[in-house]
Amino acid sequence: MNENKVAEVKNLIKNYGTRDFTATVLKGIDLTICCNDFIAVMGPSGSGKTTLLNILSTIDKPTHGSVMLDGHDITKISNQDLSKLRRDKIGLIFQDYNLLDTMTLQDNIALPLSLNGVASRVCMQKTEELAGLFGLSDHLKKYPYQLSGGQKQRGAACRALITDPQIIFADEPTGALDSRSGKELMRCLKEVNDSGRAAIFMVTHDPYCASYAKDVYILSDGMMKCRLSRGSGRKEFFDRIMDAQISMGGDFSCD
Amino acid sequence: MRLMQLAFLNFKNNLKNYLSLVLSLSFTILIFFNFQNIIYSDSFEVLGTQNKDYIDIIVRVISFVLGCFMFFFLWYSTNVFLTKRKKEIGIYVFMGLTNQKIGKMYMIETSLIGITAFVLGIFSGIATAALFQMILLAVSDIAVEIRFQVRIEPVFITAVVYLAMYLIFVIKGYCNIVKSSVLSMISASRQNEYVRQSTPVLLLKAALGACILGGGYYLAVKEGGQEVMGNVMAAVVLVTAGVYLLFGGLIPYVFQSVARNKKILYRGQRNLWVNSMIFRMKKNYRTYAIVCVLTLCSVTALATGFAMKIRHDNMVQFENTYTFQFLSDQPDIGNQAQPLIEKYSEISYRSDIPVLFLDNVNVSNRSFAGSYAVVPYSGVMRLAEQVGLSFELKEPGMDEVIEAGHLYLLSLLTDRSDITVTINGKEYRQIQETSEPYLGYLQEQAGYYIVNDAEFEAMQPFGQSLYTSNFKISDADMFEAVRDELNVLSSNTEENYTARVAVDPKSNDTDWVKVFYTLCIFLFLVFILASGSIMFMKLYNDSFEERPRALVMKKIGIDSGTLGRSIAAELGMAYILPFAVMTVSSYFSVHALEKMMHTSLFSVRIVSVLIVFAIFFFFYLISVAAYRKNVC
Ligand SMILES: Nc1ncnc2c1ncn2[C@@H]1O[C@H](COP(=O)(O)OP(=O)(O)O)[C@@H](O)[C@H]1O
Ligand SMILES: [Mg+2]
Repeated sequence: MNENKVAEVKNLIKNYGTRDFTATVLKGIDLTICCNDFIAVMGPSGSGKTTLLNILSTIDKPTHGSVMLDGHDITKISNQDLSKLRRDKIGLIFQDYNLLDTMTLQDNIALPLSLNGVASRVCMQKTEELAGLFGLSDHLKKYPYQLSGGQKQRGAACRALITDPQIIFADEPTGALDSRSGKELMRCLKEVNDSGRAAIFMVTHDPYCASYAKDVYILSDGMMKCRLSRGSGRKEFFDRIMDAQISMGGDFSCD
Repeated sequence: MRLMQLAFLNFKNNLKNYLSLVLSLSFTILIFFNFQNIIYSDSFEVLGTQNKDYIDIIVRVISFVLGCFMFFFLWYSTNVFLTKRKKEIGIYVFMGLTNQKIGKMYMIETSLIGITAFVLGIFSGIATAALFQMILLAVSDIAVEIRFQVRIEPVFITAVVYLAMYLIFVIKGYCNIVKSSVLSMISASRQNEYVRQSTPVLLLKAALGACILGGGYYLAVKEGGQEVMGNVMAAVVLVTAGVYLLFGGLIPYVFQSVARNKKILYRGQRNLWVNSMIFRMKKNYRTYAIVCVLTLCSVTALATGFAMKIRHDNMVQFENTYTFQFLSDQPDIGNQAQPLIEKYSEISYRSDIPVLFLDNVNVSNRSFAGSYAVVPYSGVMRLAEQVGLSFELKEPGMDEVIEAGHLYLLSLLTDRSDITVTINGKEYRQIQETSEPYLGYLQEQAGYYIVNDAEFEAMQPFGQSLYTSNFKISDADMFEAVRDELNVLSSNTEENYTARVAVDPKSNDTDWVKVFYTLCIFLFLVFILASGSIMFMKLYNDSFEERPRALVMKKIGIDSGTLGRSIAAELGMAYILPFAVMTVSSYFSVHALEKMMHTSLFSVRIVSVLIVFAIFFFFYLISVAAYRKNVC
C-alpha cells in the first residue's frame, strides 16, 4: 500500500491574513492518497475545501505541515522542479472549465502534451483516444463556444488526463452542470479511475456526485470530520452520505 | 461634480499607465508643429523666394501626410483608453452610473489626457524648433544663421488640426460607450463566433490580392513613355489594395492551414500562438496592412530623397563643367575670350567644337519641343581629351546617331529603345546615348546628336553652323569679375552673333533639393517610428484581452516561461509579416524609382530595410516586455 502513495499530507495548517489578524482555514489535516483512490471531499461553504485542493495541487502553499507529492515535499523543492511536477504528475479540472476560447477542443486537449515537446503524432493519437473515452469524438473540431457545458467539462477532463498524470484534482467539476451532464462526467471519471489511469481527488458539495467516489471525507471548520467508504453499491453509498450530511446540519450546497 | 472628481482621479492614475501613449501623442504634435513652423519661419528665406516656395509646397504636402497619419495615430491611441474603460464599465454600472455618465467621464478623462499631450507637444515643439531647423539645414549642407522665434500661426494650425481630430475620437468613444450594452461588457468570456474564417472566401481574397499586388509590381517597373506617371499612380493604388487583400486573405489562410495540420501545429509553443494569431487575425489584419503600407511609403520616401540628392549633385556637376561658354558664328571666339579671362583667373581647361543647329528634326518617341543640333564625332573625341571626360563611343555610321543627352531630376520616360531620328527627311538610328557633359550647360538647352564627320559635312546646308568655345576657370571667386569683363563679347547683329553662358559655381538656385532630401530622411524616421508605435499600441491593447487566458494557462499548469516564449513567437510574427511584405514591395517601388531617376539605389535600399529592421526589432523587444508584464 505504501509504495503506491501519490500524495501525503501531514498536519497541514493554513492561515490567511496579516500579522495582526490571521484566520486559520485548515487546522491540521492528515491525508494520504494512493494511486487507485477516488476521494471526494465535502463540506459546507467556506470550510476550506478549495484551499485544501489548491495546496495539494501546488497552486497554494501551506503555512505549516508537509505535503508530499510523488515522493517530493512541495514546500521544499525548487520552483523549477515544482513546475515540472505540476506539468507531469498533476491534472486539474475546474468548475468553470477553463478551456481556451482561441482554439478548438482538439487543440485544447492536446495543449499540455504538445507544449511538453511530445511528438505531434503521439499528441493526436492520445487526444483521439481520450476523446473517444469521454464521448467527444464528434466534437473535436468545435470551438468552446460551440460546445455545451457538459462537453466542455469532459473536454477539460481529457486535457487534464492527456499527460498521464498520477492524480487528477477537480474542484466542483459538476458545479456549473445540469444533473444529466454532471452524471455523464462522473461516469467517465469513474471509468478513468477504475481502469487505473489516475487517482482522483475531488471537491464537491453534491452528495450524488460524491457517491461516485470510493471514499468521501467531510471537512468542516478546517478539520476532517468523518470518512465514509463505499460498500456494496452507489445507491446505498449515496444514502449514507445524505445521512452524514444531515447529521452535520444541513446541506452543503453552493459556495 | 463627483463625476469630475472621479474622472480626474482616473486621469491621474492613467497618466502613469499611459505615459508612453501621452509621450507618443505629444511627439506627433511636436513633429507636426515643427513642419508647420518651417512654413512660417524666415530661416529659409535667405535661399531665395523660389527655393522657399518649393520648400513650402513640399512641407505642405508632408504636413498633409502627417495629418492623415496623426488621424490614424489618434484613432489607435484613443482606442486603447476606450478598451480599458469598457473593461471597467461593469464596476461603474454597479456604482450606479448610467452609460451616459460613464461616457461623460470617459470624455473628461480622455480630454484631460489629450490636452496634457497637446501642451507637452507644443511646448517641446517650440523648445525644439530652432534645433529642428538647425539639424535640417546642417544635414542639407546649407549655412544659415537661425534665430529663435515663436510665431502664433503654426501653434494655431497645429492646435486646430490636432484638437479637431482628437475631439472626433473622444465623441466616437462616448457614443461607443453609450451604445454598448452592459451585459456584453461584464460577461468575462466574450464569445467570439468568428474565430475561423471560411476557406473559399480567404482563398478568393488571397488570389485576388496576389493578382492585384502582382499587377501593381508589374506596373511599377514596366518601361514606358508618357504613360509611366499613370502607371506609377495605378501601381500605388494596386499595391495598397493588394497588401490589404494579402493580409485579409492569404495570411489568415496560411495560418488556418497550419492550425489544421496538427503535425505542424503540435510543436513547440505553436499550438498556443498560432491559434491566438488566428483568433485575432480578423481584428488585426488591417493594422498589419497599414503598418506595411506605411513602412513601404517611408522606405520609398527615403529612396526618393537619396535619388534626388544624388541626381541633383550630378546635375550641379554637369552644369558646372564649364564656367563660361560661347555660342557664336565667329570662328575665333575662343581666342577672343581667352585673354579677357586670363586677366583675372587661370583657365583649368578650354574646349572648342563646331555645332550645326538644324531646323527640321523629328525624334520618335519624344516630344521635346526645342532646338536640335549635331556635332561631329571626331570633334567630340578631341573635346573629351581636352576636358578630361570619358569617351566610350563608337563611331556612328552614315545612318546612325549617338544622343548626347543630359540629366533630369526625374524622368518619366523609362523606355529608351528603338529611337529613330529624322533629320531633313533622312532617317537615322540612335545606336547609343551618353550623358557625359561634353557641352556642359549648353547640352541641357538643346537636343544634341553626335554624327559621323562625313555626315556632319553633308548636313551643313540644312542648318546654321556655329562655334562653341568653353572655359573652366580655376578661381571661382573671380566669377563675377570675369563675367562683367566678358560682356563686351556678347553681340546679336547681322555680322556677329555671339551668346555667352555664365554658370555661377556658388549658385544656390536648387538648394530646395537639399532640403527636400533632408525632409525625406526625417519623414522616413517619423513614419518608421510611427509604424512601430502603432504596432506597439495594438499589441499592448491585445495584451489586456490576453490576461484572462494567461490566468487559465497558469491554472492548468503552463509555466510562465512557456507562455513567454509563445508571446515572443506571436509578437515576432506580428512584426515579421508586415516587414517581409514591405521588403518585397520596396524592391519594386525602389526599382521603379531607379529607372525614373537613372540612379542606382542599391545601397539605399539595403540600408533603409536594415534601419526598418533595427527599429522594428527595438519595438518588438519593448512590445514583448510590455505584453509579458501585463500578462504573466
Ligand atoms: N486568498 C485568501 N485570503 C484570505 N482568505 C481566504 C483566501 N482564500 C480563501 N479564504 C478564506 O478561507 C476560507 C475557506 O475558503 P475556501 O477554501 O474557498 O472554502 P470552500 O471552497 O470550502 O467554500 C473562507 O473563509 C475564505 O474566506
Ligand atoms: Mg470552493
